[in-house]
Amino acid sequence: MVNQYTTNHELKENRHYTMSDIMKYVIVAVIILYVAFLLNFSSGSSKSFEEVRKPVEAAIDTKKLQDAGAQGLKRFYSLNAADYDGVLFFHSKFNLSSAEVLLIKVKDEEQIHQVVEAIERKQQSRINDFEGYAPQEVKYLEEAQISVRGKFIFLSVGKHADKYKEIFSKSL
Amino acid sequence: MLFSSLTFLMVFLPCTLGLYYIVPDKFKNMIMLIASLIFYAWGEPVYIILMMLSIALNYVCGINLGEKEEDPVGRKKSLVFAIVINLLILGFFKYYGFFIDSINQIFPVDLPYRELPLPIGISFYTFQAVSYIVDVYRGNAKVQKNILNFALYICMFPQLIAGPIVRYVDIEIQLRKRELSIYKFGNGVKIFLIGLAKKVILANCTGAVFQEIMELQMGSFSALTAWIGCISYAFQIYFDFSGYSDMAVGLGRMFGFEFRKNFDYPYVSKSITEFWRRWHISLSTWFKEYVYIPLGGNRFGKARQIENILIVWMLTGMWHGAAWNFIFWGVYYGILLILEKFVWGEKLQKLPGFFQHLYAILCILIGWVFFFSPNVGYAFDYIGIMFGIGGSGLFDGQGIFFLFSNYLLYAIAVLGSCAFGAERLNIMVRRIRNGKVRTLIVGVSYMVLLFVTLAYLVTESFNPFLYFRF
Repeated sequence: MVNQYTTNHELKENRHYTMSDIMKYVIVAVIILYVAFLLNFSSGSSKSFEEVRKPVEAAIDTKKLQDAGAQGLKRFYSLNAADYDGVLFFHSKFNLSSAEVLLIKVKDEEQIHQVVEAIERKQQSRINDFEGYAPQEVKYLEEAQISVRGKFIFLSVGKHADKYKEIFSKSL
Repeated sequence: MLFSSLTFLMVFLPCTLGLYYIVPDKFKNMIMLIASLIFYAWGEPVYIILMMLSIALNYVCGINLGEKEEDPVGRKKSLVFAIVINLLILGFFKYYGFFIDSINQIFPVDLPYRELPLPIGISFYTFQAVSYIVDVYRGNAKVQKNILNFALYICMFPQLIAGPIVRYVDIEIQLRKRELSIYKFGNGVKIFLIGLAKKVILANCTGAVFQEIMELQMGSFSALTAWIGCISYAFQIYFDFSGYSDMAVGLGRMFGFEFRKNFDYPYVSKSITEFWRRWHISLSTWFKEYVYIPLGGNRFGKARQIENILIVWMLTGMWHGAAWNFIFWGVYYGILLILEKFVWGEKLQKLPGFFQHLYAILCILIGWVFFFSPNVGYAFDYIGIMFGIGGSGLFDGQGIFFLFSNYLLYAIAVLGSCAFGAERLNIMVRRIRNGKVRTLIVGVSYMVLLFVTLAYLVTESFNPFLYFRF
């Protein structure tokens, strides 16, 4: 009994934290911070399309942008609105403007690639259209806000692109 | 980045191989590691940080275990800490959405949550990390003090995102020293090309048939169409996953690594027990080594063994996906394995081979229905149609059309999924006596295979591997 006590006692006395002990707790803390960052800035949302759409749509400047709907999505992106959980697409009323706001909720993650590819294709084609005579529009297109948050894909182009993206992020 | 993408085949792989073979031996692991990080970051720029943190954590935990050799209690605590943190990370990224969804379904609540996409390969690299920690704890492997070698073990690009799950003990020596030869390289290229063709030609074509059938309204198709859909999926998942594993083994060999085979013609099995010895071998081995045996395996009586089998198979189902149908699929196999072990296994062996095959194939196909269905209810409806309940009869024009427009594809798929096809090809090649002619014919055949595969790749859209989502 005495020996057993002594051994345990000695072990307790000798126990000290090594560098690896400290490091592993530090790494776990960094992982927790990283997850918090992801949840805040990169996550999607379990909210329905309607819940996300409402605040975004309410903020859209309807003097300059008009609802292009499913037809617009087909015309500009060659995508079928029926394939997705929801689509909000506002396009500039003026031909000489690149402004637009697009919000799509895909049904499954495999559709993300297809939508992002279509967006990139259209962006490039618009840059080619405006190049040479509308440098400001080219700049807007190059600074377009594209955000993929879970099943939500968001694009805004134009003077207020940042503002729209912020509203989208907050709506998630 | 996909193995079956032109970017990988035409740019990434040639550049990596070129650099790897040019640099001196001491820099080869470094090149491989940098290439692996680029490979992962290509598709997952955000989650590369998570993978690097996982590498750092497990490296430090390994060192920590090594430091506590004289302190069994502290060592055990370190082991538990490492395993729990690894499983918490995996559990959070893979299951927390499923967990909240389940609460929302069971209770009258509607808890909103932030969705995070599943980091590609997390199930595979977490299992590899756990294998390292447990192997070090058991004394089967030495602590890896070189972080570069350890990082390479966790994130080696040939097997990073869809396995095979390489156990640390199997690769420990190769991380320090491995043999490179022109023969081994050529052999690797050969295996890689076979895997690529399996994925691009057979998996994608059978997958297209399956997709067409899945888009049909439930109940609007016949039993024949349902069986064709299920068989198409069985071929798709086999050629997709075994194709990826072949590519991983082939790539590994090009870089001097030897990985164990992950598939061994599973559809020739005569029982479910045999099927799981041939299908995703690295996963079954992992669960046996790190879950079933530590739980007690068959050492504490029949009741405990049944309990252990069910736990392992429920976990196997969960590993495949955060959804009830996967759990159901796992338990389904657990029950079948228990029945074979304790009820009809011996009787089954006495049946003629044909009936044993028929039994195994039927069980496997029904299993795939649970696997591909979006939910358990859909699976039961689909199985009902397969047996003439709830569909539009036993045969219809649509089913006959699917059958006749794809019969050649299915004939090749059958040959490709049993050893018979490969054996016949080998016999034909061996019959050519002249060595130079034989080499020429084999070389030309592989070139033709490569060109056909590339032709498919150029024309097809994005087509990721099915196992990426696990």
